[in-house]
Amino acid sequence: MPSLFRRKRLMVVLIGFIVLVALIGYSIRDRDALSTPEKFLQDTVGWMQTIFQKPVSFVDTTVENVQDMFAVYEQNKVLKARLSEYKGVIEGNQRLKSENQELRETLDKSDALSDYSPIQATVIARSSDRWFKQMTINKGEEQGVEKDMAVMTSDGLIGKVKSAGAFHSTVQLLSGFDRSNKISSWIVREDQDEAFGLIEGYDDESGRLLLEGIKLDEVVEKGDTVISSGLGGVFPSDLRIGTVEEVVNDQFGLTKTAYVEPFADLFDINHVIVVDRAAESIDNAPVTEGEE
Amino acid sequence: MKRYVIALFCLFLLVMQGMAMGWLPSSLVYSNVLITPHWVLVFIFLMAIFYDRDNTYVAVWFGLVFGLLTDVVYTGVLGVYMVSYALVAYIIHGMNRWLHSTFFGASVLTIVGVALADTSLYIIYSFVQVTDMTWANYAVLRLLPTLAANMIFFIILYPLVRARLARWSEELTNS
Repeated sequence: MPSLFRRKRLMVVLIGFIVLVALIGYSIRDRDALSTPEKFLQDTVGWMQTIFQKPVSFVDTTVENVQDMFAVYEQNKVLKARLSEYKGVIEGNQRLKSENQELRETLDKSDALSDYSPIQATVIARSSDRWFKQMTINKGEEQGVEKDMAVMTSDGLIGKVKSAGAFHSTVQLLSGFDRSNKISSWIVREDQDEAFGLIEGYDDESGRLLLEGIKLDEVVEKGDTVISSGLGGVFPSDLRIGTVEEVVNDQFGLTKTAYVEPFADLFDINHVIVVDRAAESIDNAPVTEGEE
Repeated sequence: MKRYVIALFCLFLLVMQGMAMGWLPSSLVYSNVLITPHWVLVFIFLMAIFYDRDNTYVAVWFGLVFGLLTDVVYTGVLGVYMVSYALVAYIIHGMNRWLHSTFFGASVLTIVGVALADTSLYIIYSFVQVTDMTWANYAVLRLLPTLAANMIFFIILYPLVRARLARWSEELTNS
């Protein structure tokens, strides 16, 4: 019965197509949280990856430690020389901190936008498809990780939490950012106030972030530092992002666009810090105005 | 029973696929060339060629399940890998009748299959705007390196699993 077979095959193809469109439509929209089966699968695979990752990272660190040992003497000399400098800096820092604290108390403003509590995490896998710039870390909702939290290494910002499972979460890297995830940022310049701009995307070819919407009359120079401003409502302020490499006028000539080289290496990442902002973020803030 | 062993091995490959991106030298993995490991798919092709009979479709079901797993774990866009893997596994299953099950025949089928699967991923992902590569860029930067990398994996995997799959296949016929 060849005709029956052909009809059956046609049905399967049609149903498959419908399922494909439905699933893509379901998963690509901006979801608040993953569905339970997805979380379960993500955690199961995550645990397996943790098991395989342990021995490999052990060998990795051992090799690194041995390599480090050869450089210890040189490093020690340099570090000793710098230690004396730091003592002065620490005292100055402590003085400024207590002064800041006192001033805040007089202003009755307890938590700053820059305050956050760090959650340490380890990278256990990266997406095998390079079109998806994301990786899996071994901390999830149980440890306090939530969607949209900032993720950084000791060098600087690397991305944000795309979705959080129970014990593992997915991090979207800066290189995968587009117009739907903007970071409001400040450009720190010498002898001037900060200039405001929005990180709106990533230039794949040059590997730099696009900082857009800088006012035309602001003077931004190569080498200026870019930090997060904390005004976007999710990230805390003062997270280091990168340095300005090049400034151009945008295509309409109304604002300037700066190309920003990220501080952190977006490829070789092992340990990350998930940043839990202390100040209320916009989504959770109680709505008091206009809702009487 | 052997099906569970095969499923476990597929899961192992799936897990390894993501970890390999961290272990391989970053100059290779993170250059302009976008190498994508399709290890699970290569193994599913070997199943379609050596394990499945003409009237069993275990490889297609495995393609469906492990494609969906890849979607959940590595991309977050559901359904794309699932449909591509299942469809290509079905095509390879059908093409297997025309070619002898030798090393040469299997490698031809694998090349065709991986190329088909990756192209189908490219087409679907460009529809939903995950990628905006042009076809020419895609062919040079992703398709060809991916084919080469997966053939290397195929050459390593083939001698390890061929005889075993053929032996288990006999149990499939007897049961």
